[in-house]
Amino acid sequence: MTTLGRLQQRFQSAILAGDRTPGLFIDEENDRRNGVAIYQQAYRARLAGALRDNYPVVHRSMGDEAFAALADAYIAASPSHFRSIRWFGDTLADFLAGSPAHLPHPALADLARMDWALRGAFDAADAPVLTSAEVGRLRAEQWPTQRFTPLPSLRLVELAWRIEPIWKALDEDPDAQTTAPVFDPHWLLVWRPGLDCLWRSADADEAKALQTLQQGASFAECCAQIADSAASDPAATAIDYLRRWLADGLLAKAQR
Amino acid sequence: MSNPISGFGLGLRSSHYHDFLLAPRGVDWLEIISENYLVDGGKPWHFLERIRRDYPMVMHGVSLSIGGTDPLDQTYLRQLKALQQRLEPAWLSDHLCWTGTDSLNLHDLLPLPYTEATLRHVVPRIAAVQDLLGRPLVLENVSSYVAYRADEMSEWEFVRELIHRSGCEWLLDVNNVYVSGINHGFDPRSYIEAIPAAAVRQIHLAGHETHPDYLIDTHDQPICPAVWALYGETLRRLGPTPTMIERDDHIPPLAELIAELDLAREQSQAIFAECRHAA
Ligand SMILES: [Fe+2]
Repeated sequence: MTTLGRLQQRFQSAILAGDRTPGLFIDEENDRRNGVAIYQQAYRARLAGALRDNYPVVHRSMGDEAFAALADAYIAASPSHFRSIRWFGDTLADFLAGSPAHLPHPALADLARMDWALRGAFDAADAPVLTSAEVGRLRAEQWPTQRFTPLPSLRLVELAWRIEPIWKALDEDPDAQTTAPVFDPHWLLVWRPGLDCLWRSADADEAKALQTLQQGASFAECCAQIADSAASDPAATAIDYLRRWLADGLLAKAQR
Repeated sequence: MSNPISGFGLGLRSSHYHDFLLAPRGVDWLEIISENYLVDGGKPWHFLERIRRDYPMVMHGVSLSIGGTDPLDQTYLRQLKALQQRLEPAWLSDHLCWTGTDSLNLHDLLPLPYTEATLRHVVPRIAAVQDLLGRPLVLENVSSYVAYRADEMSEWEFVRELIHRSGCEWLLDVNNVYVSGINHGFDPRSYIEAIPAAAVRQIHLAGHETHPDYLIDTHDQPICPAVWALYGETLRRLGPTPTMIERDDHIPPLAELIAELDLAREQSQAIFAECRHAA
């Protein structure tokens, strides 16, 4: 370890720990001339700002004060390893789920999952959307091996609580009055067919079917997966899903 | 180099995307924050590609950590290079600083101790980046609020030597020189006078916050009179130099920033008209 390396470790520790006298700077003894606090404050403010940007609805739901306390705790537990601050906060939902002190209601972790999925879809890779007309032109012999690929922006999010109405109300109005969500395990689909993100709720069977497509399965394999699920009429279910995915603009045109 | 830049620019911020699509008068070029476009698609790329058609651009990064002691982040460098190939910027800059150690990123521009050992550490890292990007790296002086006991030379002596040994070029942030000068009690003019004029590619102007004991580089308000005066002295020394205004907080309507940029343009025109007159 070089002298410079040790110096940087000491400065970094001082910023992280809030220690104002790491023994590195002139004027450390003079409170008014001690600039370490400026770095300490700027560090926390910058990361807390990134969390607010990435979790706008969690922020609105908790309010400034509780969100600031959450941000402090998260920053201390999960400092950034990212080159770009855009990714900071990637584990906030799990952190929330594991820290009851910051969790007035367990559904808050689901709100965080929804915020993060939307943030991820926002600047995910683009792809042209597959249309019903294009699927209509497929020949019969193409169907057994046909693959339908979801858009690269598609996020499948498992939720325990029915939080979508709360998310929507707070997204539209920061001061919206909301009631506690009901426990209702299901999935959330988030995708971006153009510039704007879309989302809707889904049941586990549909989410699993999409998951198999994301993993590269053919439509025939996807149908087999649907048949293994509880669907009473697997063939009709598979066709329903496909129609809906096309209407949603959730599948990508095949790559040439 | 693909797009020679001249005149007066602004930083591209997402709140002005729609304004820039209309290609308003009074902005000659744009600077982007590289990290904002290290994403795969969506609105950032949609707007960047469209706006790029109308404006020459330069890339400005915040997390190279050229003075850091962790190895250079090769993934990040590859991403920068890909962005450079896609965007064809006139140049690519980052800061003379470090941003974290032991694989952490504090997302701040932390000052280095100005020593011979630091020079020996930073020069080969600049060479590695320049080799990879195939062009000179442009580095910017940062504002600072601490001074190391370990310092062996002034910041400007360090910068001079760094430019000389590494062949890097300079982005002279006049506001940062002023802020650090007040914070550390040096004359900003000695700093400006020491920087080799031929190495300066670009100038940054910005506003700062005034606290009882410190100036803080916040980029959240108009440029103050003392920095305008220092800018004038800088231009007299350097000659016409591409200049841009940085605003990262309390971002006003674009027209307001263009009006502030006009002040820089007018000042520059006045100075060089005066010079021609004298010649
Ligand atoms: Fe700057």
